[in-house]
Amino acid sequence: MDTLHTIRSLAAAQFGGDADAIDVDVPVNQLGIDSLGLLEFLFELEDKFAVSIPPQSMPDVPTLRDVAAAVDMMLAARAQQPT
Amino acid sequence: MSRVVITGMGVVTPVGRTVRDFFDALVAARSGVRPVPTALDPEGRRLVAALVDGDPATQLSGQPGARLDRGTQLALVAARNATTDAGLALDEEECERAGVYWGTGFGGATSIEESYRKLFALDGRVRPTAVVLGMSNAAAAHVSIELGLRGPILNVATACSSSASAIGEAFRAIRAGDADVAVAGGSEALVTLGNLRAWDAMQALAHADPRDPSRSCKPFSANRTGVVLGEGAAAVVLERESRARKRGATILAELAGYGNAGDARGMSQPDPDGQARAMRAALRDARIDAGDVDYLNAHGTGTLVGDEAETTAIRRAFGSDAQRLAISSTKALHGHLMGATGAAELVASVCTLRRGVLPPTAHLECVDPACDLDYVPNVARDARVEIAMSSSFGFGGMNAVLVARRYHG
Repeated sequence: MDTLHTIRSLAAAQFGGDADAIDVDVPVNQLGIDSLGLLEFLFELEDKFAVSIPPQSMPDVPTLRDVAAAVDMMLAARAQQPT
Repeated sequence: MSRVVITGMGVVTPVGRTVRDFFDALVAARSGVRPVPTALDPEGRRLVAALVDGDPATQLSGQPGARLDRGTQLALVAARNATTDAGLALDEEECERAGVYWGTGFGGATSIEESYRKLFALDGRVRPTAVVLGMSNAAAAHVSIELGLRGPILNVATACSSSASAIGEAFRAIRAGDADVAVAGGSEALVTLGNLRAWDAMQALAHADPRDPSRSCKPFSANRTGVVLGEGAAAVVLERESRARKRGATILAELAGYGNAGDARGMSQPDPDGQARAMRAALRDARIDAGDVDYLNAHGTGTLVGDEAETTAIRRAFGSDAQRLAISSTKALHGHLMGATGAAELVASVCTLRRGVLPPTAHLECVDPACDLDYVPNVARDARVEIAMSSSFGFGGMNAVLVARRYHG
């Protein structure tokens, strides 16, 4: 499963609703996720993907696609780091 | 001033999740006290507590349950049950005259401890929701949000008298005309590893009864050894009498009086003077004499010092009428529900008015000469109760007493 699909499933688990019905191209506040809910969701994603997601890596009110892009960027950065 | 009536009640307790089950358990002397899970007692100190079975979030419809502190989850279940019991349906305008008065001693204790565990013992990360999960007024906030109540809102933290004070303050607000309706009560879920250690360090916890751990809490008995921590929530719906009558609500009882007094003495040492003053204030507020009270649901935590001090306080407040007063502590069975205990015990007191039976003080095995009143030992007793009083005394010397009266219209 790619990052966006995983994030959509996690959003459904955390905020309720059917994953397939979640529009990944609308700002998250339109999905009923407030600013604190978003922070909590990003916190979960950081645990899940073992990355740190800097706030400046996405718009203030991102879409889930923006969130997935930020996670992918951090995953790529991590892959390039020498171990 | 308006009269105030109780039109709905809800509980989530270690001995019952409905008011009927709760009171049936008290009358039958069924205890909810058990040895705690090993995770809460890794050193095998034989600790006991009265816990609510299972995950209360499963009783919450909608998604947010899992992301609420356990105490808040219990609060929402009790508050919903109370409003359902009351058949409460408020329009937008009425919601602005409907208040929330909630009591809790430790607030989001479970969430706070979990945050510290993550910070100090695990990965050093603290959740972004740590503040709103842990803050003391989280339960009050969620009750108001859930029920859409936008009138006066207050969170009361007076330790073990929190919910009694909350109900008393709601009563005053309605009586004074500041609100027409209130959901009032309290919740507590503090039985964590850290809190058990803290109470144990204070040497306040009851020793497990070696033969039967469910009998570990023994209020007023000479062989009592301390408090059994419990968790739960209880709520009542209070209404201005005229409003309740107009909508044809079932009126369960009148809330007739509230007394509140401080000890100004010590943090954990109970003071009969402050307790007696709170009881006398409640009698005055209800405009009744000591001899009018038929039943007292005592604070009766099961500590050596506390039960003796309370006996002295009852004698001071009731004078010669103390000898004929029927008194029981139901904590022997449901444990000490801390911030929720005053509300749960008011519910039990209202049940005595309606059911005509007094729950006993269970596990009263040996008479203590220093506790020489009628504690309804061990076996329930039929009695016609016109007026019941419920006392709650908090650490720091914070005493709150409520008086409920049978409603005659």
